Amino acid sequence: MTAYLVSITTEGAIFGIMALGLNVIWGWSGDFDLAYYGYIAVGAYMTLVLTIGPATPPAQYILGLQLPFPLAVVIAAVTAMAVSLVVGSIALRHLRGIYFSIVTLGAVYVMYVIAGQFVPLFDGYNGLSGLFDPMGDVLGLDYESYQYFFLGVSVVMFVLVFLFMWRVSRSRFGMALRTLREDERAAAAFGRDIYRLKLKGYILGAGLAGLAGGLFAAYLSAFNPSAWSPVEVIVLYSAVLVGGRGNIVGVVLGVLIMGVVVQESTRFLPQVPILGELNTLHPQVLLALRGAIIGLVLVLFLRFRPQGLLPERRYVDPPLPAIEAAPRTQSA
Amino acid sequence: MSQAAASPALEVRGLTKHFGGVYAVESCSFEAPAGQVTGLIGPNGAGKSTAIDLVSGFKLPDRGKVLFKGREIQGLSPHHISRLGLIRTFQAPREWPGLTVLENVVMAKWDASREGFFRGLIGDGRAKRDQSAAEMAKAREIIDEFGLGTLRNERAGNLSGGQKRLVEFARIRIAEPELVILDEPMGGVNPVLGERMAMAIEAFIATGTSVIVVEHNLPFIERVTQHVIVMAQGAVIAEGPFASLRSNPVVVDAYLGEMIRR
Amino acid sequence: MHDPLLTLGFGIVTASILALSAVAFTLEYAVTNVANVSHGEILTVGAYAAYLVHRQTGSAIAAAVAAALAGGLVGLAMYASLIGPFIRFGATPTIVFIATLGMSFVIQNTLVIIFGAANVAYTLDPGAPHQLGPFLVTSLDEEIVGSAIAITLVLYLIISRSKFGKALRAVSQNRELARVTGINATRVAAATFFLAGLIAGYAGFVLAAFVGSFTPYFGFGFFLITLTAAVAGGLGRAVGTMAGAVIVGIILEVVPALPVPFIGGYVSASYNLAIAFAILTLVILLRPRGLFTNARRTVFE
Repeated sequence: MTAYLVSITTEGAIFGIMALGLNVIWGWSGDFDLAYYGYIAVGAYMTLVLTIGPATPPAQYILGLQLPFPLAVVIAAVTAMAVSLVVGSIALRHLRGIYFSIVTLGAVYVMYVIAGQFVPLFDGYNGLSGLFDPMGDVLGLDYESYQYFFLGVSVVMFVLVFLFMWRVSRSRFGMALRTLREDERAAAAFGRDIYRLKLKGYILGAGLAGLAGGLFAAYLSAFNPSAWSPVEVIVLYSAVLVGGRGNIVGVVLGVLIMGVVVQESTRFLPQVPILGELNTLHPQVLLALRGAIIGLVLVLFLRFRPQGLLPERRYVDPPLPAIEAAPRTQSA
Repeated sequence: MSQAAASPALEVRGLTKHFGGVYAVESCSFEAPAGQVTGLIGPNGAGKSTAIDLVSGFKLPDRGKVLFKGREIQGLSPHHISRLGLIRTFQAPREWPGLTVLENVVMAKWDASREGFFRGLIGDGRAKRDQSAAEMAKAREIIDEFGLGTLRNERAGNLSGGQKRLVEFARIRIAEPELVILDEPMGGVNPVLGERMAMAIEAFIATGTSVIVVEHNLPFIERVTQHVIVMAQGAVIAEGPFASLRSNPVVVDAYLGEMIRR
Repeated sequence: MHDPLLTLGFGIVTASILALSAVAFTLEYAVTNVANVSHGEILTVGAYAAYLVHRQTGSAIAAAVAAALAGGLVGLAMYASLIGPFIRFGATPTIVFIATLGMSFVIQNTLVIIFGAANVAYTLDPGAPHQLGPFLVTSLDEEIVGSAIAITLVLYLIISRSKFGKALRAVSQNRELARVTGINATRVAAATFFLAGLIAGYAGFVLAAFVGSFTPYFGFGFFLITLTAAVAGGLGRAVGTMAGAVIVGIILEVVPALPVPFIGGYVSASYNLAIAFAILTLVILLRPRGLFTNARRTVFE
């Protein structure tokens, strides 16, 4: 049981980082970016090719170095930021709304296809594997202790990222991003370089995605196109939506809720009589049912609570005696 | 009021813009004197809004020059022009609805040193924090001046049209531009607020901000402006103090909708 | 696949199917201003319906009819259960977009639950190839292109001549104005979705037969290409969409066959989509109102 909890919490921490990064782009800048999971994938793939050493044929992939894990993750995050710079500089220049979403969808699809089909890059559909217990042998940990160690690493990273996001959300930079979301024209009229500012937010989000991707690769000890499935993507976006875009506590809450929904539905569904039978007929059915449930949750929230559970926090100025004591009446 | 020999707040020369064969603005030229309130009036379709968009960088002119503070600004992007000291408002109030009134005013002042990427990450040092605190205090003061003190934590999107206009004015006050262009500030606003707006505009002048007001509300124009420019069919057809224009046959004709042959 | 005419021939068939799917999507967009991301699922449902009916009756015609009807009902259901209510409650276009994405996901997974995820083989006897002018075609190819042309003509007549068509045009141009003149915009939209669904369902049947197999996901893949054609033609403009479909369809067949090192040789179908998206991105960036208008602007115009 504890092994299960450790595993779930580790995964939750990693998803939390992903959600916080997506929140910068979708929650604060206000752009529904479908390319985001691509940056996670870049982070994962790059971390692997920088740590698993040279390829043994018939597998092929680029680089194949054996760098220390932390260094690999940093490089991977930077790579993700570089890719996002390319996509963002095209998509953010002139596009907003659904056009932006469509172009980013195209970008992520191209990334997916290249990663999965162009074998020399990341060994195509097979993907990469072999990242076992990074840093574990350096510290001389056995399998059991390593799980706790990696849990610790993930949670610490999550907490750091959370504190960092908390600071950004209160900074002028974070507020400037939000003015872009609220009204771009007004933001430009008051001196904001929309394109530059959005691009900065975009790259920041992608950097967090890359970081999370590196941790994710270590958690899975591998990464390939099937780790990149629509369900994973929808769960992430649903988490941000359900929890509350723009609210960093909200998106973390969203990760917890969607994580629970995902886990619990996988657990209790086989016990429902008809479904148990179906499961033996088509093994995909339970996964599909889970996917359908997640999609349904997403749609219901969009309809009835699009702002999510926790609305964005606004700065509330403490009451000042002078103003509050003698309120001015004014007609307007 | 004596006209100073100082250079004008804004100079427009030969501004031209067409959309699909129709000239919205054609060879439009005018000067807005510094330190004064200049009105820009004209019948519907005269090209006033387009001219404002062209001057402020929201549209690109086909031809012509715009001079502000002695430099040519035509073709620059809106945020660049804003940073040079020219701020404009829009026909509909454009507040940031999801932010509070206080946040709206505080964020109206662009600050390169505190909005950079790394600043946001690292956080402000002591000097910057003091600056932020001072600015917050100033924002509260200005909000209070406009009578919105009790609403400062209110979501700006929930305010009435008139209140939103006041927030806009507060934003302009804190940004302290050299020139502000108000695009139909009385639009959708209870006329009762007119005097308060007029006073706010006078306060702008007092603090060194020149003003251009585009308006259909002629009594308001009469109340606040020293100099008025009349546009029709994309070009300037007359200028002068408001009183002189009232009897100007060219202006009267334009407003009565008869086509002016230039 | 090095004979350019052969490739072009393939391109024309693909373009016909694409044109049907794209024009249906354009109808949906025109009447609601919503990009229906679950549009591809209408094709998938059509394919399944055709397959089931064909298995029972052995008749391709019955299969075609079943596909169209199933598509029409699904289209109508999409409008009635999701798109219509979202619009009425005032959701922003992006919110509805995401909602249709969610709906797409739900439908795909529901199909997996019912039918399983495996590839379903579906072949119609194509007939022997014969010469038609410079092209080598099978009678299946001819039927596909022929039916696409016929459906387009009928659609054109409906839109331009019938009372319903007039109402449709009114609603697509200005919903509020149409309402004021007494048109029930909701009914028109619902009927349009049914019509679009008929076409898209049929297109699903044809596509499945042409490709030879399908899965619960195949409609979504085709949707991405459909979107490219629709945007290239100018969202909401039916004629442009058709032209866009033809161009995209041909490009998709021709480009993989070009003797260019990276793309040459056997290219899997996935590259098709990547190419389609590259086209889509270029179009959106350079000619956002479609290939056939001349709109350039600053980000604010």
